Amino acid sequence: MTDRDSKPLKAMETLQEISAWPLAHWPERFPGARPFGYLNTHVPEEVLHAAGFTSMHVFGQRRAPQRAETRLPGFTCWLVRSALDMAMAGELDFLAGMAFAHTCDSVQALADIWRLAVPSVPVVTLGTPVDLYAVGAREFLIADLGLFRDQVATLAGCSVTDDDLRASIVLHNEIRRLVERLYALSDRLPSPALLAALRAGHLTPRETYRDLLANLLAALEADNDPVAPDAPRLIVVGAHLDDTSLYEAIVEAGGHVVDDLLDLGRLHYSKLADNGGDPLAALADRYLTQVPIAAKTHPRCRRDDALLDLVRARAADGVIFAPQKFCEPHGFDYVTIKNALDRADVPHLLVELEQAQVTGQMRTRLGAFVEMLS
Amino acid sequence: MVKKSYRKLKVAKDLTRMMSAYYAKMRIASRLQPVAWVSSGAPVEVLVALGVLPLYPENYGAILGTQRTAVPLIEEAEARGYSPDLCSYATGHLGSVFAPEKAPMKGLPKPDMLVASNNICGTVVKWYEALADHLDVPLFVLDTPYVHGTEIKDHAIQYVAAQMEAFVAWAEKQTGRRLRQKKFMRTLALSNEAVGLWRDIRELCIHRPSPLNAPDLFTQMAPIVVLRGTKQCVNHYHKLKAEVEERVEGGIGAVPGERYRLLWDNIAIWPGLFRFYHLFSRAGACFVCDTYTHAWSMGLQADDPIEGLARAYTAVYINMSLQTRTQMMVDMAKRFEVDGAVLHANRSCKPYSLGQHDFRRAIMAKAGVPAMILEADMCDTRAYADGAIKTRVEAFLEMLAG
Repeated sequence: MTDRDSKPLKAMETLQEISAWPLAHWPERFPGARPFGYLNTHVPEEVLHAAGFTSMHVFGQRRAPQRAETRLPGFTCWLVRSALDMAMAGELDFLAGMAFAHTCDSVQALADIWRLAVPSVPVVTLGTPVDLYAVGAREFLIADLGLFRDQVATLAGCSVTDDDLRASIVLHNEIRRLVERLYALSDRLPSPALLAALRAGHLTPRETYRDLLANLLAALEADNDPVAPDAPRLIVVGAHLDDTSLYEAIVEAGGHVVDDLLDLGRLHYSKLADNGGDPLAALADRYLTQVPIAAKTHPRCRRDDALLDLVRARAADGVIFAPQKFCEPHGFDYVTIKNALDRADVPHLLVELEQAQVTGQMRTRLGAFVEMLS
Repeated sequence: MVKKSYRKLKVAKDLTRMMSAYYAKMRIASRLQPVAWVSSGAPVEVLVALGVLPLYPENYGAILGTQRTAVPLIEEAEARGYSPDLCSYATGHLGSVFAPEKAPMKGLPKPDMLVASNNICGTVVKWYEALADHLDVPLFVLDTPYVHGTEIKDHAIQYVAAQMEAFVAWAEKQTGRRLRQKKFMRTLALSNEAVGLWRDIRELCIHRPSPLNAPDLFTQMAPIVVLRGTKQCVNHYHKLKAEVEERVEGGIGAVPGERYRLLWDNIAIWPGLFRFYHLFSRAGACFVCDTYTHAWSMGLQADDPIEGLARAYTAVYINMSLQTRTQMMVDMAKRFEVDGAVLHANRSCKPYSLGQHDFRRAIMAKAGVPAMILEADMCDTRAYADGAIKTRVEAFLEMLAG
């Protein structure tokens, strides 16, 4: 335990509480908000926000799926199984809709299965180019964003104007700038609190989230003591994390997470969107200039290069890969990135997650890895 | 000794000869013409018209599966960090690249370029990225947006057509050759003709008894995959069609004493091409239709070849929504008057396997026949539980007899 843990910051406490709040009870936590579910980082939150919704990422839960087993094979990743299970149990009936952006084959299938299995929660989809450098990708994405906006507006029962979207882009850019500062101060924050703060950004009404982040940053900037000055500095790579247990285990093992290449972490909050001109074009341009997630490709912007840049920029000592079991894009990506890290002599460890659980064996391996870096 | 429970096609020998020659010649041809490794849903007509030799790692994966030689190669990939949960075509083929000395035919001749389209899965993008890195050759990714609704949106067609134009320019640059319109149109016409013949041949299985069974279709599909756009492919399907028509006229079924007509969903279980499917044919059960070989039945519009290619390669079966596929499967079950359906939950193929529970429900409710989901793998014999599968198949057949 650190000193910081013994004098918790109020904003940090709130963000941690939101991160751990059960999804099924979301409306009790945020009464008055109009929640709209989404899977995954490429769903344009600005559009949902501009329509008056609060976008709520559907994270996986710890409990074993039951109903989803009647719709999905056992070799489906935990997130997809768990999300469908909650929805089929009626635990997400409070959602005004569910938005899916095209990423992997499993999420693509889930969008279709959801339409059949959970008719109470309408589905909207967004096609996103798989090759971020493809000829015509921008025009395609702008057109599909237009259709996405129309679908969302219909569910909202109101129009979503360009001005609404621009205002929403301003808010989300503010959040992105704050998160960038949060990463810069990650030395001063216990690792589980860093992840909780990032996760909360997918669950909280965004104006509230912006204010909580600003308060947290004010407190962190006033106190420049690192929480674990001697701990090896780590970067975590993966799609998302369903809870903070991995980060807790890393801290228990003696490590400290300074940054990540998580779809719902650094990648989600990186790159600002232009807030002048055509807002849909601005969203498309932001998408096409991001570091691709594992399910996407860009011939001139590689994930292994991006990670090595991050390792250098954050003076990291090692990398922890935390893919979900059965995740095809991260399964391939792991080898490409691992090879790049080996060439650069950056130590790394693979921790494959199932049911979001950190097992005893994983703890042992984490302990050995961190000890090696110490 | 397993009793012979199906009739072998006369053209099976021709196919074996043709495919053996294809693989024997590829090594020589690869020294004379540029080689592209392509995914099965890549617009190969452009490459063929440019004189490129296209080779198909997926087809190579199927060979590994059929020969039961995939596992040692998959293990080579696993030793380099690839997970056992990944597509076994990909890991088997990557294994052949890493350890060609252990691979049948010492692997495929090295490519000069790579072409992958995500119209069959997102996996090929990652697989080909890995190949491009390892072999240091250029890669073209053709992005075909998944069709969640029933119709392909105009802007999606425009997007794919724009990439198709870029693909032609890219392939011309790689080869240093110009795509000659006449040759291109002729290749498209040959591709269309083969696709039409293949569609006709599959439709002939509507007859009782069915002239073909799943293993026939799975083996006879090889030319439509690897020789699409060539005269050789068209000639073969003319011959096959004549033999199948002859069977129909003579009332000759692929499975003697056809008792049950079944629908197959998903990629074949290649290592069990005979043993597994014999479990059915022995009981008089014939797979008269399937969704896998149906994937190569989309004709091209010739008036605007680029848009025609864009449309055909976007409308690939597995790139369509579950709702569209359900409708197609139910229609197929009704038209072919099947008595049941077997859905292969293929651990290697998520886009094909996620949604099968809904297919099963729809087939049972709308076609009024039983349907069974069987978990296995298209190549990896480690995922094939012999005893359990046999028991389940027997129970299913008993139910059909019921």
